[in-house]
Amino acid sequence: MKDNLPDKDGFFGEYGGKFVPETLMYALNELEQTYKTLKDNNDFNAEFHKDLAEFVGRPSPLYFAKRLTEHYSTASIWLKREDLNHTGAHKINNTVGQILLAKYMGKKRIIAETGAGQHGVATATVAARLGLDCHIYMGSEDVRRQSLNVYRMKLLGAEVHEVNSGSATLKDALNEALRDWVTNIEDTYYIIGSVTGPHPYPMIVRDFNAVVGYELIEQSQESFGRMPDSIIACVGGGSNAMGIFYPFIKMKDVELIGVEAAGKGIETGEHAAPLNDGTPGVLHGAKSYLMQDEDGQVRGTASISAGLDYPGVGPEHSWLKDMKRAKYVAVSDDEVMKAFHMVNQMEGILPALETAHAFAYLDELMPNMNQGQHVVINVSGRGDKDLNSVVEIEDIQL
Amino acid sequence: MKRIEKRLAELSKNNSKAFVGYIVAGDPDLETSLDLMHLSVDSGIDILEIGVPFTDPIAEGPTIQQAHDRSLENDTNLQKIIELVGRFRKKDNETPIILMGYINNFLTYKDLINSSHKVGVDGVLVVDIPGELSLKAYGIDNEDLDIISLISPTTSKDRIQEIISNSSGFIYYVTLRGVTGSSHLDEKEIEKNIDYIKSITTTPVMAGFGIKSKDDVQLLSSFSDGVVIGSSIVELIHKNSENKDFREVSDYISSMKDAIR
Ligand SMILES: Cc1ncc(COP(=O)(O)O)c(C=O)c1O
Repeated sequence: MKDNLPDKDGFFGEYGGKFVPETLMYALNELEQTYKTLKDNNDFNAEFHKDLAEFVGRPSPLYFAKRLTEHYSTASIWLKREDLNHTGAHKINNTVGQILLAKYMGKKRIIAETGAGQHGVATATVAARLGLDCHIYMGSEDVRRQSLNVYRMKLLGAEVHEVNSGSATLKDALNEALRDWVTNIEDTYYIIGSVTGPHPYPMIVRDFNAVVGYELIEQSQESFGRMPDSIIACVGGGSNAMGIFYPFIKMKDVELIGVEAAGKGIETGEHAAPLNDGTPGVLHGAKSYLMQDEDGQVRGTASISAGLDYPGVGPEHSWLKDMKRAKYVAVSDDEVMKAFHMVNQMEGILPALETAHAFAYLDELMPNMNQGQHVVINVSGRGDKDLNSVVEIEDIQL
Repeated sequence: MKRIEKRLAELSKNNSKAFVGYIVAGDPDLETSLDLMHLSVDSGIDILEIGVPFTDPIAEGPTIQQAHDRSLENDTNLQKIIELVGRFRKKDNETPIILMGYINNFLTYKDLINSSHKVGVDGVLVVDIPGELSLKAYGIDNEDLDIISLISPTTSKDRIQEIISNSSGFIYYVTLRGVTGSSHLDEKEIEKNIDYIKSITTTPVMAGFGIKSKDDVQLLSSFSDGVVIGSSIVELIHKNSENKDFREVSDYISSMKDAIR
């Protein structure tokens, strides 16, 4: 199993590539060159790891979920606690890395798209640290359901641009960010928030998040003396999943499970699960599984979780799916809400709605596991940002 | 001789430059698009660029984005657009037609694209595939179609060379850093870059993106082989879509045609 992808043109098998308007090619090539030289540069890596340790608070713990384990009474369940990172999600790993690239490239203006607002907050955070001008694009539907994060971004000094075009969610925010980049190509660095977009982004975002997987290798050894049997992560664009999967691709005995948003149910068509119910297509600069209709138009999505509400997915996941190296499943909004409460009540952890998707798959997985086996869930983020949504979904009077 | 080559040769024989006009098929509806195609030609457009609507057109500014959205409301797709070209050809077998759009729609309909020259399509311009990649590798393989590529102010010299070797018909020089419909043309830079491209190829070079006024047209056509206008035409079509009286569109096209040097 190859783990040295993408190839020189940015492809993972047939997926990935650089399908962008001509003006962007220069910026992508510039970024690719910069990354190539900095990737193995000791100073760059020292700075990145210092920030991860001192600003993000890494390593994140691997925590034994005692009551969940007892509840299912098969394999042991372990939680990789990305929710404990500064700003509350795995998204900060990538932004800490990319802002360093921006700094080395001398870019003065930072742009990003965001869905749940976690990536927007993480970007605004690192931009504030360097005193860089920061613009965040966010669909108006997401601005509404993630209003706390919008306020956080503003506190951090970022300008939040509401996007009303199309479905007014994550994909449209990405469109707008790309349009901004085409227009301000010379002084602007675009920090993409997931393993999506044109090459070299899927590779860069994966590499910066892979710290999660590398830590897990060591922690598994320390905690239970071997590698996990299964690793579960939710998949929107796929960065938290790619980060924890990547170092394990070569370890064939480790089962990799990505959980997509089935929304109202795959059969209803109202979901956000391209790997479960999509076909290969090109969106936002890369070829990958895509929710599209018979004309090649991108279909609308539905999920209670803004961070997973995206019709595409990172190209490396499409490749892992076709290679059958990872398995991709989907859970519905209702199953997610049930898991959300379960994790709160049994483990004292408030997971993000995105993350609750990974937990929701336990009901299906655990009956087939055995005692003595070990399952790791990537707890991609915490759910403080989602309290407004949950209150609304469950029609609760505060 | 292919229609694009023939039309450009005629223009150059008469010492004039080309006027390439863009409209979005299906905005306001396909019947009206057919009328607008003929009206555009009658008013002075030499080459028609027919926009194929996509849900996520990342190179377009708001004017053309909204036209794509309106067209998609009418369930426009590439099959219907190719049929539209066939109907246009019943009255006009001379004016070159280029389909301009995004790779995902073209890949979905690649078989139709591969036979589209038979109904009268002359070229394709895929906005989101880098010009050095050959469309053939993606299954779009039709020797009878010209492949129009974009070169922008940020394209490096070695890539310009590769792009040129992969394109035919004409080169589309993107006159600004930005999406369609933006402003801020940097005439010095445009002239320098077009001069460079023309120094290494005999393929004609059109200038487009952000061209709106008579002054823009006059200036840019003076050092290119022609100009492309999109957003302004699309905007005027939309403005008059309700009563379908498109005199303003034809007046605009005629006045731009007059400004071409
Ligand atoms: C906590 C959390 N998990 C997961 C995601 C989904 O992104 P990805 O699939 O790239 O990890 C998001 C996105 O906003 C998020 O905030």
